[in-house]
Amino acid sequence: MATESLNVKELYEKWILDAKTKLTEEDLVPRVKEYLIGQHPEICGKCAPCRDGVIKLEQLLDQYIEGTATIKTLKEIERLTYNLRASRCSVGLDIGKNMEVILENDYHVLYKPVKKY
Amino acid sequence: MASITIDGKTLKVKNGTTILKAAEQIGIEIPTLCFLEEINEIGFCRICIVEVEDEQDLVSACNTEVASGMVIHTNSEKVKESRKATLDLLASKHRFDCWRCPKDGMCEFYDMLKEHDIVFEEFGPGIGRTDEQIVGTGISQDLTKCILCKRCVAVCQEVVTANVLKFRDEDPLNPVVSPTPGLTFDESGCIFCGQCVKACPTGTLFETNHVEDLENVLLEDNYVIAQIAEEARIGLREEFGVDIQDESFDDVFDQALKMIGFEEVVATGVAEDLHVSALGEELYQHLQAKNDGPLLSSWCSGFVRYSELYYSDYLDQLSKLRSPHILQGSLLKHREHKGKDNVKVISIMPCTSKKYEITREELKVNDEQVVDYVLTVREIAKMIKRRGFDMENMKPSVKQDSPYALARKTSYDLLENVLAYVANKMNVPFEKPKYKVIHGERLVETEGVIEEATIKFGKEKFHVLRVSGGQAVKQMYQLLKDGKKKYAFADVSHCANGCMNGGGQAIRHNVEVHDVILARDEAMRRMHENKETTTNEYANNLLDEFFTEKRELLETSYSVKEFTKE
Repeated sequence: MATESLNVKELYEKWILDAKTKLTEEDLVPRVKEYLIGQHPEICGKCAPCRDGVIKLEQLLDQYIEGTATIKTLKEIERLTYNLRASRCSVGLDIGKNMEVILENDYHVLYKPVKKY
Repeated sequence: MASITIDGKTLKVKNGTTILKAAEQIGIEIPTLCFLEEINEIGFCRICIVEVEDEQDLVSACNTEVASGMVIHTNSEKVKESRKATLDLLASKHRFDCWRCPKDGMCEFYDMLKEHDIVFEEFGPGIGRTDEQIVGTGISQDLTKCILCKRCVAVCQEVVTANVLKFRDEDPLNPVVSPTPGLTFDESGCIFCGQCVKACPTGTLFETNHVEDLENVLLEDNYVIAQIAEEARIGLREEFGVDIQDESFDDVFDQALKMIGFEEVVATGVAEDLHVSALGEELYQHLQAKNDGPLLSSWCSGFVRYSELYYSDYLDQLSKLRSPHILQGSLLKHREHKGKDNVKVISIMPCTSKKYEITREELKVNDEQVVDYVLTVREIAKMIKRRGFDMENMKPSVKQDSPYALARKTSYDLLENVLAYVANKMNVPFEKPKYKVIHGERLVETEGVIEEATIKFGKEKFHVLRVSGGQAVKQMYQLLKDGKKKYAFADVSHCANGCMNGGGQAIRHNVEVHDVILARDEAMRRMHENKETTTNEYANNLLDEFFTEKRELLETSYSVKEFTKE
């Protein structure tokens, strides 16, 4: 478990520092979800944007894994990600910023599989 | 002073002011949910967030202090979107069965969803974080509705000082606010004052429902009597939207009660007068015996339970008297309607603790409750509104010709009436005491208030106390422990500002608590305008009768109550 979460952390440091690094497309969604789950022990549960938002983000990413994601799913991911800016402490804020980096760099990865109509 | 700009308006405010307060000064109201002034300013709910230029993140207005040069936007696109998303998230964990919610139209969360026009898209209305129901004889909790604003926790800690409700975040993704896990409110040391019920923005905390039971009692072949406390009268006027000083509404309300099946509608007046006389008698005996320590009044059941739970060393000091509505119940059941076995007495009170009080073993007569049910102002209003009566055109009921139907003869100030009784008994002139505030401030719930007065009975001088509010009660016990001054008597209510602010009163949101209390106090003063500090002859005669024949109906006993806290 310890090594696994370290990998994820390294990965994200790499992403934030080097915006050109990209994950393979199949890899992205499960890895992001893994990262979010890895953040659970940090969450204090005091404010809704982080406590409930992160869980909802995971559920939305599940829709990608199941192949049921629609354009609405993506919009909702964006909305909840930006809402993390309203978190009470830096745990939520950091998760939000990491998610924003993903949206910025890999929006096309998330956009491609959604059902548009 | 700091110069800041809010929504394009520049203003100067004192350093240390929060953004919320600064915005209020120029008439901008930032929506809040978990915020309770001076009680809960912790920024939990993230509804009051605002955008500050050059800040990366949104900040909460309720607990962020202004800094010079801040440029604040309270209603930008970013803020609005974030508020909506947060409300969406909260709503996804809240059970929406609003039509049967105990909050009944006074839900702040519902109003907020309405105001922000929340549309459920990806996540529909929720079914609650957990379906746990926590019961208690006075108040209960339905966790499906909790939105974790932590208001009740702050009130229980800062105002009531019982520390029963806690924010439990062992599982941070699914925190709960509850008394000791797995236990009822009774077992975890709750005093049932109901302040948390008033603080809750949803219907999570509510008074234990007696309405359904009462409906059944009304259907059966019973002789049902309602007694209404004066404080409840005022709350009822608020509930039905009539002028708070409109005494003519009371008779209309009585008629409505008769129409839903009550045989008799009486006041608690006689019993209150009887209580005054009996307490005066007890205080007289207490002074004669030259006992150490003060006599503590026992009409507030919240205070009695608080003492039994947390200050059991002082139980001997508590007055042995039963509270007025229990006395009235005894008068009705065991004097007026003696021998009938289908008489039921229902009290309409501004109090949730009385719901617990009636179940006390110590107060039962022949193993039966003296008062069968207690309804709060909100419950009875709900019950009557449900029938859809045309209250505006209803004929007022004819006042019953019975001493029980009369309002109390003594003035509103219990302490003064009691002292007047003692002065009368000692054959000395009575002077109204002059009060000096020695702790806290009136209308400040987080402190409560202790007033001290020195009273002269002939040559002897006594110190008396008037205490209201949980913090003040705690402080009073500290005073007694320190023992720097000897006190003869203390009149205590556990809710700050007394029964006018009781846990069973009408809930008014969007109105400042101060204004509500002041208006209610003024209405009460009007009701007692022509009354003097005195005792009621009729009640004095009753007292003689009680002393000779029915002493067990007048007095009660106290015992240490167990509780588990975690």
